[in-house]
Amino acid sequence: MFSRNKKASSSVSTDMMKKQKRYEALVKALHADIFRYAMWLIKDKAIAEDVVQETFLRAWKSLDSLKDEAAAKSWLITILRRENARRFERKQFDLVDIDDVAVPDPKDFGDVTLEHRELRRIMSGLSEEYREPLMMQILMGFSGDEIAEQLNLNKNTVMTRLFRARNQIREALTGEQTTGAQVNG
Amino acid sequence: MDELTFRRTIYADPNTTDPDVVKAAKDDPSKQAFWDDIKALDAQMIAAASIPVPDNFAEKLILRQGMDEFSQHRKKRPWYVAMAASVAMVVSIGYMTLLAGDNGLANDVFAHVSHEYVNKEIMMSSGNVSTESINKKMATFNGQLSDEIGNIVSANYCYLDKIKSLHMIIKGEKGLISLFVVPDSESKDLKEDFSNDELTGNSFLLESAKIIVVGENAAEVSQLSKTAKVAFTF
Repeated sequence: MFSRNKKASSSVSTDMMKKQKRYEALVKALHADIFRYAMWLIKDKAIAEDVVQETFLRAWKSLDSLKDEAAAKSWLITILRRENARRFERKQFDLVDIDDVAVPDPKDFGDVTLEHRELRRIMSGLSEEYREPLMMQILMGFSGDEIAEQLNLNKNTVMTRLFRARNQIREALTGEQTTGAQVNG
Repeated sequence: MDELTFRRTIYADPNTTDPDVVKAAKDDPSKQAFWDDIKALDAQMIAAASIPVPDNFAEKLILRQGMDEFSQHRKKRPWYVAMAASVAMVVSIGYMTLLAGDNGLANDVFAHVSHEYVNKEIMMSSGNVSTESINKKMATFNGQLSDEIGNIVSANYCYLDKIKSLHMIIKGEKGLISLFVVPDSESKDLKEDFSNDELTGNSFLLESAKIIVVGENAAEVSQLSKTAKVAFTF
């Protein structure tokens, strides 16, 4: 009964398999980076997971529009940021302002050394305008130009924000050291 | 290059290859030392930023897409394409049990209650799901769970016939029962009572949302429906 449509059927099946393989490769290569980025952006594990799921579902649906695998990272981040913004558009999404819950559940971030915990606290305390470009740079490895394009800012503004982000982190770290010394003294 | 410009450039991008910066560092050991400091700080920051990813997260993303793809192809395409899509699905995930007749939403509900699907959900869940985390997800439907409905072992969004729903799996005395929350506006054609050879389901409206309860044991399904009518508010 398959003879008449055998050719069509098998070529469709091959296309599906190809798309499936491509998608799986994309998920395997980038899901960790994308999840981590979502965590730093959203600071809530359950919501971050949901947004990443939505992101990959959308990515699957428009996978054909991704022509160049090398652009996959920034393509996914674009989708993720749009999905995240949609949460705030839905008016029934009756959530408190995400910056009001600035202290993420330490359990969500896993077990780490004291040093890292301190750095995480400081980084997650940065305001979003500094935190986002910083995470794009250190987690995703984006260049200044790529960050500028994602955030729709000019490059000088991005570089200034990156400078201020590190400046604030450094000040927070040295500030703590000073306090420590005073306590000891 | 003056000190301030040098520091600003390094702070903005510790991996800069700007020739002026490179030269300035070469000429002045204290500048090089500052650069090394910031590079070390960046290495620390990268390590600290690399938070652990949930277990089986990649599999979960692949599985979700597979379920979504399956329901779409069954609807829109001619039978042989649906068959090919199913073959691809079966090869990649293994959902032969889903090839039932065309009964829209109810069939998708059954698909999401299949042993394989439910087992994967449970495998990927961390165990007991707190009311708090359910309510975070319920916010999407403008609703709330305010009472005990039993031991919820998994709660996740899923797509029923392209409708975003919240799927909870509850451990009953005689087996697992699934409860779905869907927006009413998109689930009008679902019957109040529906069933197939193995599963019984019923659905009811609570303000703006529809609750669907499905399981193998009819008595437990009806019991959970009663409890859910009181426990959920919209």
